[in-house]
Amino acid sequence: MSTPCKEALSIRSNAHSASTQIAVGVRKIALAASFSTVMSLIMMSSAAAEWDVRGNVTGEFTLFPHTPIHSANQASNFSLSTEMEFYSEVGNAGSLTITPFARIDRHDSERTHVDFREFLYTHVGDTWEARVGLGKVFFGVAESLNLVDIINQTDAVENLSTDQKLGQPMVNLLLIRDWGSIDLYLLPGFRERTFAGVNGRPRLPVPIDADSARYESGDGNDHIDLAARVSTVAGDWDLAAHVFHGTARDPELQFDPTLGALVPFYAQTTQIGLDAQATLESWLLKTELVHRQGDTFDNHTALVTGFEYSFYDIQGSGADIGIVAEYLMDDRGEDGPALLQNDALIGLRFALNDSNSTDALLGVIHDFDGKGSILSLEANRRFGSSVKGTLSYTGWSVSEADSALIAFDREDNVRLELGYFF
Amino acid sequence: MMFNNAKYQSTPRAFCLAALCLSTTIVCTTALADQAAKDRGLEIAIAVQAQDDGFGDSESAMTMTLINRAGKESVRRMRSRILEVPGDGDKSMSIFDEPADVKGTASLTYSHANEADEQWLFLPALKRVKRISSKNKSGPFMGSEFAFEDISSQEVDKYDYTYLGDETVDGIAVHKIEAVPTYKHSGYTRLINYIDTERLVPIKVEYFDRKNAALKTLSISDYEKHMDKYWRAGKMEMQNQQTGKRTVLTWSDYAFQTGLSEKDFNSNSLKRLR
Repeated sequence: MSTPCKEALSIRSNAHSASTQIAVGVRKIALAASFSTVMSLIMMSSAAAEWDVRGNVTGEFTLFPHTPIHSANQASNFSLSTEMEFYSEVGNAGSLTITPFARIDRHDSERTHVDFREFLYTHVGDTWEARVGLGKVFFGVAESLNLVDIINQTDAVENLSTDQKLGQPMVNLLLIRDWGSIDLYLLPGFRERTFAGVNGRPRLPVPIDADSARYESGDGNDHIDLAARVSTVAGDWDLAAHVFHGTARDPELQFDPTLGALVPFYAQTTQIGLDAQATLESWLLKTELVHRQGDTFDNHTALVTGFEYSFYDIQGSGADIGIVAEYLMDDRGEDGPALLQNDALIGLRFALNDSNSTDALLGVIHDFDGKGSILSLEANRRFGSSVKGTLSYTGWSVSEADSALIAFDREDNVRLELGYFF
Repeated sequence: MMFNNAKYQSTPRAFCLAALCLSTTIVCTTALADQAAKDRGLEIAIAVQAQDDGFGDSESAMTMTLINRAGKESVRRMRSRILEVPGDGDKSMSIFDEPADVKGTASLTYSHANEADEQWLFLPALKRVKRISSKNKSGPFMGSEFAFEDISSQEVDKYDYTYLGDETVDGIAVHKIEAVPTYKHSGYTRLINYIDTERLVPIKVEYFDRKNAALKTLSISDYEKHMDKYWRAGKMEMQNQQTGKRTVLTWSDYAFQTGLSEKDFNSNSLKRLR
């Protein structure tokens, strides 16, 4: 694409986003209002009930050392977020968990958002559990990417590690058997992935118009998805298998010339997968495998496999060092949509195991097709009894101009987070 | 807190030893004396454990205060549940209340006398249950002077014992017993247990590091009897002689036979633990 064309696109997209921003703003205010109404209703109606509350307020400061592709993007950013969990028992066997989350971002209106991570009623029977509401569920064993983690949508504006999730509407039935357990999920209502806005960083060179998302299913985001998972522990092995039918959580970003933006397209998919971990003394061997079929993409298989090895209490110091190595494969190959299709993660984890819980992580994801690599560093420690600090760095090293990574070439960043926990 | 009695058929072993030693009277006497000390040590260890048999299940709350050389304190709070498993090690679950950044983090342990423990960790922010390695015996528990092996389920099979005689500690008559860890990856060459002769509970433990140098001393006090049978300590203080740091554990809110069963100790219940 030639440069003038790109600029024309970005002008168009800015004009577009100016008009939608008002609508988005109104929607956000409405959300915030309904959110606070619901919260106050809960607090009032349950004055008698006992609420167990925990949460945090976290400030985040980010520096981007490279000049941005778009002059509108800033060299630094400040953001404030809070997550609170309210838990109360309901009767003898029930409980209600409400976990609101909110973020305000200095520059990115897309990152300024609220969500209920959970608004979930749980009922516990003798050999079963039932959950209804907005919930959060984790599947998987790997460190680099959790291919099998398909229930919740990624709240991708939060960070690039894909571990922050949006609350998913669900009806879940867990059946507990002697040999393990069976989870059945009915998932009404789809959550669209969040993306950084035009004023946010890191962002892709071309804007993403998340509000114009398209769906393969005529039901759009009202498609009812189904999932089931069986899991068991067999000695040193933790094993699980799942099946999913419905709207794929990971959209394909399609360029729309009229909008001058990338538009997320959500395909229908049927997925089966496995995850397994063997815990053999200091070795953890991990594998996640999925096979996906759909009408709008090539049927494919993807894999994450590797190990974690730990040296404990080194020289009697109490400190640990762990080594993580994982290989990531997607058989659609270099030209497919998966960024990590023939890549490896090598990671080192240091834990001092001191009273401040000081630890550090170093990770490199390297592409074997020569496209480039991603370096991440992270250090954590506690200050006093309630404050936790995290200093992190993410850098992209791009070796080919046509690499998908080129989008992030100028988005290297250093981030400091200070969280107050209660 | 059961143990495998079959492992303690020590009489035939002593008999064989005696037969082998018939020719050299001096060696024989020493060996027999050694064996007698081992038998006596084991006998006391078994008696200590045996009086705890049948507790079924229990719950308790713990406050851990870390004190560094300068006297600066940091506090952790957690609650635990234990299920007695006849014929094997206990099952236990713990949840952190403090420090706040780890609030809700919970662990599940299936301890075993002779094989590796099985352990899972629940990380509430990600709703993730992780199976973790239980190899780390000697590392510090939450930055304290207690190692994982100090706070894990104490099974008779985990040590070889030698009775060293009777003494008095703080005016209390005690049996002095040396215990040598038999499990892998221990940070100790040996422990010296001081067992109250009357109540059959430890009131002091001395730990010796991998170089057999004095490392730590644990003082256990404020015992209370629950359900007319089960002694539980109210306070444990671990002093590290090598670093000058210490950790004080206080226990409270003990409850016994609260109706817990196997189904309360799996990864599903771990996720729900409050």
